[in-house]
Amino acid sequence: MNTQTPALLRRLLAVSFLLSLFLFMAIILGISIGSTKSGIRSVLQSLLGGEASDSMASTIIWQLRFPRVLLAGLVGATLSLGGLVFQAILRNPLAEPYILGISGGAAVGAILGILLGFSRFIGVSLFAFAGSAGTLLMILVMSSGQTILKKDSLLLSGVMVNAFCSAIIMFLLSLTQDSRLHNIIFWLMGDLSMLDIRHVGILAGLIFPCFIIVFWQSHSMNLLLLGKEMAQSMGVNIRAVTLILLITTSFMVSTTVSQVGLLGFVGLVIPHLLRLLLGPDHRILVPSCIIGGAAYMIICDLLARVLPQQGEMPAGVITAMIGAPMFIFLLKRSGK
Amino acid sequence: MKKPVSRRRDHHNSFSSQLPIGKDDAICPFLMKEIRHTPIRDPNRRFKFTYLAIPLLVVLGVFFATEKLCLALQVTDQLGRTVTLSDNPQRIIAMAPSITEIIFALGQEHRLKGVTRFSDFPSEALLLPKVGSYVHLDLEKIVALKPDLCLAVKDGNPIEVIQRLESLKIPVYAVNPTNFTSVMQAVVKIGELLDATGKANRLVRSMNSRIQHVKSLVVKTTHRPRVFFQIGINPIVGVGTRTFIHELIVLAGGRNLSEGPIPYPRFSREQILGLSPEIFIITSMAREKTFDKIKADWDRWPDMPAVRSNRMFVVDSNLFDRPTPRLVDGLEVLVKLIHPELFEEKR
Repeated sequence: MNTQTPALLRRLLAVSFLLSLFLFMAIILGISIGSTKSGIRSVLQSLLGGEASDSMASTIIWQLRFPRVLLAGLVGATLSLGGLVFQAILRNPLAEPYILGISGGAAVGAILGILLGFSRFIGVSLFAFAGSAGTLLMILVMSSGQTILKKDSLLLSGVMVNAFCSAIIMFLLSLTQDSRLHNIIFWLMGDLSMLDIRHVGILAGLIFPCFIIVFWQSHSMNLLLLGKEMAQSMGVNIRAVTLILLITTSFMVSTTVSQVGLLGFVGLVIPHLLRLLLGPDHRILVPSCIIGGAAYMIICDLLARVLPQQGEMPAGVITAMIGAPMFIFLLKRSGK
Repeated sequence: MKKPVSRRRDHHNSFSSQLPIGKDDAICPFLMKEIRHTPIRDPNRRFKFTYLAIPLLVVLGVFFATEKLCLALQVTDQLGRTVTLSDNPQRIIAMAPSITEIIFALGQEHRLKGVTRFSDFPSEALLLPKVGSYVHLDLEKIVALKPDLCLAVKDGNPIEVIQRLESLKIPVYAVNPTNFTSVMQAVVKIGELLDATGKANRLVRSMNSRIQHVKSLVVKTTHRPRVFFQIGINPIVGVGTRTFIHELIVLAGGRNLSEGPIPYPRFSREQILGLSPEIFIITSMAREKTFDKIKADWDRWPDMPAVRSNRMFVVDSNLFDRPTPRLVDGLEVLVKLIHPELFEEKR
């Protein structure tokens, strides 16, 4: 981290404050709306007055919606930060955990873990991490050398890794006969409803250190974008920085995937939007991606809860519906 | 985050630890008022105490007698879990269509406050509030209905939902019906919970006698036709040994061609032709039209004995895959399809 200039610090604070306001509004919306009618007023009452009017409303707000909103925020922050880091390291505007197949690899690992009967935390998470590390390695080997800079080869290898991963997932699913099948399918598409506040706490404990590490490396990410020679001459140990960032990012992405399944394109929409608004400085982009990604995901999850007439749909449907057209738009623009 | 209020558990605890001085006023408010008035501080009124004592004792007696109503009850469910629930649950959520059917069959539907999607029998069940499908339950809706008991099935309801409901102090009683015997056990257990033991026992007795009747019919013949029971259209899915349908086929005097350790094995068309079923039964996941199409599909292979003798049938899937008293209806349907000759002799 390199925030010696007070102007930068001031700008950072201003941006963070504005985005936090946005995030706060998203959180309020997120806990106010659900499948039962307990409107904004009772939420505000519960927030301000301490005692909610009845215990049922407060249970719904604090034990069902609040953990879910927190989880959505955490996941959104992780995925959009993941996208930002991959875009910087691979110097490719279209890099994103889902598109690269990192999420897919994590999903393969996680499903293996579930089918082998491991518990959600530690067991399944480790399998997911192993899976994502495996795909990361595969991508790096496939597009090794100079070609890694070219977006086409990177995308192609990502597409292939994704195809391979989804083939393995289909294979594993076809072996599964029991009632876990339906759960796994729903989980695959991004399901945020199942975790309680304790699990969200553990997840936050695992992911927050990763945020700090990435923020600490944000200046190096700026320099990396200037090119290898330039970065080296500025005193950046490219190998070390790349390694630290890749491991940290795939760790946090795989941990969230093992908990909530596949949520695509979040790491594409938010970093690009913020880069348009705030410029290319990663010292500002990293914290704003965390906050903005959180707010974005909370809204997406809210839509997933509210839009269907009966029940709810996986949040991954919403993120993909917003993200995939965005991806095509970016691809078209960068092709010029 | 502030700690959410959990009133329910509080009053449970207070009742189990210090029985007569409960704070609950929902059920016996009048009695509670009497008890709170017991300390008499005015010395001038002391002489009246003896007169007061008699009605007070009566009140206490009545309280102890009715206090059973308010007591928290500890029971063991079909999975061996210990569940604490109120003795006379009034707000029940049925977390699977089969549970809904059992509760209606016990005549306790007035306690039912929420059901899952696809709870379509009896048709009154369609009018009850929905709490999602049984594999994807809507926790928020469940909590909003303020249930004092959720009835779950092991096969289907995700364990995460059960755990979350319990962490929200909502008691969940799980049943695990895997065959006729455990379906009847589940009926009896639910009957005990809902204060309908007599009705439950009568229901089980009639189920048993109807099964015995089918058995006595089937025993007259030694012929065991080869039956293929198709529950999935594309891919073709049969039923393994550890399913209700297998049990029904065997009881109805047939041989299940898809028996085996896999509960719902998949088949290719080639395998089916190789097995050469004499009777081919398809469940009605969809309407008759689809059945005609599937039948026409199979009719292209007249080498298959079931096609040759025109013994392809469609049955109502709800009679076969739901662990409810209606399984016996399914059995009676099946025995008529597999052994029609037994019924012709009768006439």
